[in-house]
Amino acid sequence: MQSLIFIVQQTIYFSIPLLIVALGAMFAERSGIINIAMEGIMIMGAFTGILFLNLTGNTMSGQLQLMIAIVISVVTGMVFSLFHAYASINMKADQTISGTALNMFAPAFAIFVARVIQGVQQVQFTNTFRLDVPVLKDIPVIGPMFFQGAYITTYLGVAILVVSTIVLYRTRFGLRLRSCGENPHAADAAGINVYKMQYAGTLISGALGGLGGLVFVVPTSVNFNADVAGYGFLAIAVLIFGQWHPIKILGASFFFGVMKAISASYSGIPFLAGVGIPSYFYKMFPYIVTLIVLIFTSKNSQAPKAEGKPFDKGQR
Amino acid sequence: MKKRFLALALVAAMSVTSLAACSSSSTDATTAAAGETEAAGEEASTGVKTQSESEDGKYELALVTDLGTIDDKAFNQGAWEGLVKYAEENGISHKYYQPQEGTTDSYLETIGLAVEGGAKLVVCPGYLFEEPVYLAQDMYPDTYFILLDGEPHNADSSDYKTSDKVMPILYQEDQAGYLAGYAAVKDGMTKLGFLGGMAVPAVVKFGYGYIQGAEAAAEEDGKNVEIMYNYTGQFAATPEAQAMAASWYQNGTEVIFSCGGAVGNSAMTAAEAANPQGKVIGVDVDQSGESETVITSAMKMLSNSVYDGIKAYYEGNFPGGETTTFTAANNGVGLPMETSKFENFTQEQYDEVFAKLASGEVELTSFSEGNIDPTKDLTNLTNVKVTYVE
Repeated sequence: MQSLIFIVQQTIYFSIPLLIVALGAMFAERSGIINIAMEGIMIMGAFTGILFLNLTGNTMSGQLQLMIAIVISVVTGMVFSLFHAYASINMKADQTISGTALNMFAPAFAIFVARVIQGVQQVQFTNTFRLDVPVLKDIPVIGPMFFQGAYITTYLGVAILVVSTIVLYRTRFGLRLRSCGENPHAADAAGINVYKMQYAGTLISGALGGLGGLVFVVPTSVNFNADVAGYGFLAIAVLIFGQWHPIKILGASFFFGVMKAISASYSGIPFLAGVGIPSYFYKMFPYIVTLIVLIFTSKNSQAPKAEGKPFDKGQR
Repeated sequence: MKKRFLALALVAAMSVTSLAACSSSSTDATTAAAGETEAAGEEASTGVKTQSESEDGKYELALVTDLGTIDDKAFNQGAWEGLVKYAEENGISHKYYQPQEGTTDSYLETIGLAVEGGAKLVVCPGYLFEEPVYLAQDMYPDTYFILLDGEPHNADSSDYKTSDKVMPILYQEDQAGYLAGYAAVKDGMTKLGFLGGMAVPAVVKFGYGYIQGAEAAAEEDGKNVEIMYNYTGQFAATPEAQAMAASWYQNGTEVIFSCGGAVGNSAMTAAEAANPQGKVIGVDVDQSGESETVITSAMKMLSNSVYDGIKAYYEGNFPGGETTTFTAANNGVGLPMETSKFENFTQEQYDEVFAKLASGEVELTSFSEGNIDPTKDLTNLTNVKVTYVE
């Protein structure tokens, strides 16, 4: 039981950032913009958020500090994604190129600024954000899993999932956003401002990407070294694996999270260590499954039909 | 069909970029030196003195910092403290210089600056200076150099050359690891962990020493000790390293010797979150300031070796031309007992085991060529069971 609780906790550390970032990428793609810059956006968001934690480390602590850091990360992500939005919507640039450019820019920027400000590239912070939820933490099994030593960002991730689902499928905005990703010309003919919708989609992806970066770094380290270990790209894989659908994305990110958690921690879990399966297997497994799933489902892939194609009003 | 290709291309792109991410972070870490923790300093509350007053604007003793700042709680600060100690005792002018960037050219330029500033002896902390010193020894033939944790060689390591005025210093890492392992077991812990970074020789030596130290203590006390042993493969703080450390703590491991730059940060995070709180042993420098979970550190005594080197220079017996290895015998490695948080392990016990290492009574087995798995090299362990996690 102890082991099970442990795996669930670790899975949350891996899954929640993937979930948040993949949902972000989903909004962009649903509006017709491929946002491959999620990795770069995560780095930027994590950087400014962690820098804030570092600079206010002496005067602030606890949930309030984390909340402000979250806001800062979100805003940074949005600002950074504006570059991508401008390039791909206004300038009709190739979205993969623009995203790649941002991915290369972000770590260099983070290292440079960190060095200018404090001389070294690692930005340290003190983690005072673990939280025991009163009352709920005493529930057997569920308590230790979800409500002891937890992070407020976990609940935020779940909230984002719920809100995303509602927004996408139950609001006028969501319908318009989706229509822009499927058939922007029809949407345009129906009087929807496609550019505005695509900007909205990209900005939401930036906001969630920035947040995801912070959520990724806080529980797993005591400093930030201009790196999110490829989780931005992994999130895009999760998005595809989850077929651009919020609930399926939850499933996909949970699946990746479990596999990551097990591959990293199996040596400390007597049951798994006893089985004797090499760790390589666990490490490869999610990717192999992704490949297989992609190959077999790509025929009826749910990808937005118009994604990646710059929208041109005059073109028919 | 098109989609299928897209899918494959994406996966390929993903794996390539994540591989690239791995390699870039590992080169980063190599820059941050093998197992050498480049601790990001909080703003100097430590009151590091910057330079002495000099009437003619010349400074005899100089230090060129590597990647970090002078108050980095790592190589720079350790070396600087040794320099300042000698300089103040003897009233010698001294100053440090910080290169613009971490490249050979920039290091060389800064060394030049120090020489122009009147430096007779330049201290270069960290193995990143191997190539700059290799070049500088010919460019400034009248200047003396102390190079920490490395030996001068050219860019592709095809030529090693140490002039009479260069003193390269290496450390016997396995002795430091031995002390850490011995202390941990003597302190009452029986479930240990070793979390290394990349399996470079320095890291492997730390690990082997650690196991042998634990074995020695376990034999003396008649205890059985279990050690989890893993190289994470990179000098970076990753969620994977964190999860591995966390799983060990969760499974009863009491202390983890984190040996590999930022890997230590992952271990500390896991230790802080573990219930009951886990313990961490730091590496290279005294890391007790980074987290309260750090109970001690397997240190290279930078300050001592720099002090000794400078002293030898002024006494006219500068040991240039060949590499000096600092061991327990010349106080080159050790544990920082003042800042350690041991419950049972005492200063007397430390002095005793330290003396054994220093006298050569304890001999350590090193790794055999091409092997990093301690269970293959250390076959005569009786009280320690090592679980090597691949």
